[in-house]
Amino acid sequence: MVVNTNNNLVQNTTHKVVIPFYVYAGLSFLTATVLLFLSDNAFTQHYFQPRTLAITHTMALGWGTMIILGASHQLVPVLIEAKLFSNALAYASFVLAAIGIPLLIYSFFQFQFNGIAQAGAVLINAAVVCFVLNLAASILKSKNKNVHAVFVFTASVWLLATTVMGFLLVFNFTKNILPKDSVRYLSLHAHIGLVGWFLLLVMGVGSRLIPMFLISKYDDAKTLWLIYFLVNGALISFIVLFFSAVDSFFYTVPLTAVLLALLLFANYCREAYKQRIRKQVDKQVKISLLSVAMMLLPLIFLAALIALLLFSFANTKLVLAYGFSVFFGWLTAIILGMTFKTLPFIVWNKVYHNRAGLGKTPNPKDLFSESLFQKMGLAYLAGFGLFTAGILLGNTIVLQIASVLLFITAALYNVNILKMLRHKPLIK
Amino acid sequence: MTINADTKIAPILKQNASALEAIVSISPKFEKLRNPLLRKLMAGRTTLAEASRLGGCSMDDFFKKLEPLGFEIDRNTNAVDGAKKPVPAFVASLKKQQVIELDVRPVISSGSDPLNVIMEKVKSVKPGDVLKIINTFEPTPLIRLLEKKGFESYVNAVNNNLIETYFHKKEASNQGEIEPAQPTASDWDNVLKKFGDKVQKIEVRHLEMPQPMLTILDALDRLENGTALYVYHKRIPVFLLPELAQRGFDYRIKEIQDGEVHLLIFKN
Repeated sequence: MVVNTNNNLVQNTTHKVVIPFYVYAGLSFLTATVLLFLSDNAFTQHYFQPRTLAITHTMALGWGTMIILGASHQLVPVLIEAKLFSNALAYASFVLAAIGIPLLIYSFFQFQFNGIAQAGAVLINAAVVCFVLNLAASILKSKNKNVHAVFVFTASVWLLATTVMGFLLVFNFTKNILPKDSVRYLSLHAHIGLVGWFLLLVMGVGSRLIPMFLISKYDDAKTLWLIYFLVNGALISFIVLFFSAVDSFFYTVPLTAVLLALLLFANYCREAYKQRIRKQVDKQVKISLLSVAMMLLPLIFLAALIALLLFSFANTKLVLAYGFSVFFGWLTAIILGMTFKTLPFIVWNKVYHNRAGLGKTPNPKDLFSESLFQKMGLAYLAGFGLFTAGILLGNTIVLQIASVLLFITAALYNVNILKMLRHKPLIK
Repeated sequence: MTINADTKIAPILKQNASALEAIVSISPKFEKLRNPLLRKLMAGRTTLAEASRLGGCSMDDFFKKLEPLGFEIDRNTNAVDGAKKPVPAFVASLKKQQVIELDVRPVISSGSDPLNVIMEKVKSVKPGDVLKIINTFEPTPLIRLLEKKGFESYVNAVNNNLIETYFHKKEASNQGEIEPAQPTASDWDNVLKKFGDKVQKIEVRHLEMPQPMLTILDALDRLENGTALYVYHKRIPVFLLPELAQRGFDYRIKEIQDGEVHLLIFKN
């Protein structure tokens, strides 16, 4: 029989593309908490330390970046009201990153920048290139190019800048291709990643999702464009300052711009909250809103760092606390909340979209366990607070207890994900 | 090497490299075997009997082509049914009145794809009913498609040019902690019938996100008692669903095609 495979009976494979990213991210988070437990004493030393680097990259790439890549493949088509350009590119970005990330992390852990580290860096860059191309093609083909899509695309370009730089740093360890040693460039690499990729993306997507979850009519594209130019301006001025060897006082310029952008964004969320139709805000959105407030914590550490730098005195404890509060604080809080606001719907769609006419379907939010989510939230807040205190106090016992709590957080997260993925249709 | 109707194609190709050309020359349908990937997929799973059925040729065509290459022919072994499936219970207990018959041979000979005709028929099949498709070959893609939709299938090859494929819609079974209503295939139609002309229609396909959701919620706020809201949407609005449940509404969804979904929302 001649079956035209492009007919409408053939389902799109979006969930098949998206779910692997989520699973991989969950397991990375679990891995990172195990590494935390094994390297508590690394957090009482200098931040340029094999284990610290390994943990940072497990969090930044395996946890943060992987889940964002997965969610972006699902959300960007919704934002631009068009189809994803290519599922094949999406699969490619998953496979390349999934292989590259462990290679890189293993090398950091062993502190050997040989062929394995280089292969990891190449694969990760290839994955990001696939992602950027896929986004660009999807956005170019769509008729609806809105501010959120511009945010996401710009963020993905900053991600590529970050990974290319990381690639150069890895190679610079063995062949001196850069004018200075790699440690010198760490803060540049880290901040382009943090602000350009994570912050810009979270704001771009969050400004669309938070009003949607609150069912709020609020929309203010002007403010979002202002935020966009503030953040990008901050990044560009930071890069210029970095290469022009000026007094560290000038770093207050990009810091102020980012701070202003954050305040505008927090206000945007507040306005959306005020104009919401949904009266009861669920816990997942609360945790995500909390993460907006949690952005302030790393900023406080950062401001303290710059203040100390003025007295040419770099405090490594503060650097560690800053890095930890970014990855395990702000970013993790967002992901913990948003996973359970996105994945249940992806799974529901996969299981029920062609059964929804047959009868009553379960509520998407019943696909995961609310009580597990609550326990996870509690373990998380306790673990995060204690660990930050442990870093500042330099106390390994506090760090140990805190890392166990964070491990429990990651374990509960994974159990809940598994519960969702194993959901069997209640209507055949 | 002795071959019979049950011999798979892979060992034949392995035994003698020229067998590939010989088989391809039987029917243009076997051109696929030239592609190494497809060859790997098909040759290991397909017996000569199945191949003759798929290629629309006889077993003898194979034997005539393969004998000169040194294969010994065993013509006495009758092919086991290609699918190697026992006759399922639903076929054994067929009653005349619950079989919906559809002969697609005229559609195919007129040169068009019978899929749409078949899918139209499939809609009228209720759980427990059997659809019988009459065709000149085994409709493998259709079997896979309908299996995804909860049908079990059984292929009965009457002869090389007459294949009957039976599709049985399984009864819905309930499992899990959330107890849904006992669904039927025409649940959508039943609900629609129940409301009769008390249906208010709204169109949200032209709206940008998040307007569709707000428009629907707005319409629900003003919906009169005993009336259902009929929504024309671009996609299943998954984020709306928990909201509906929270407000005591139930819904049914009907996917018309890609980019067109109809929803029926009504008070529980």
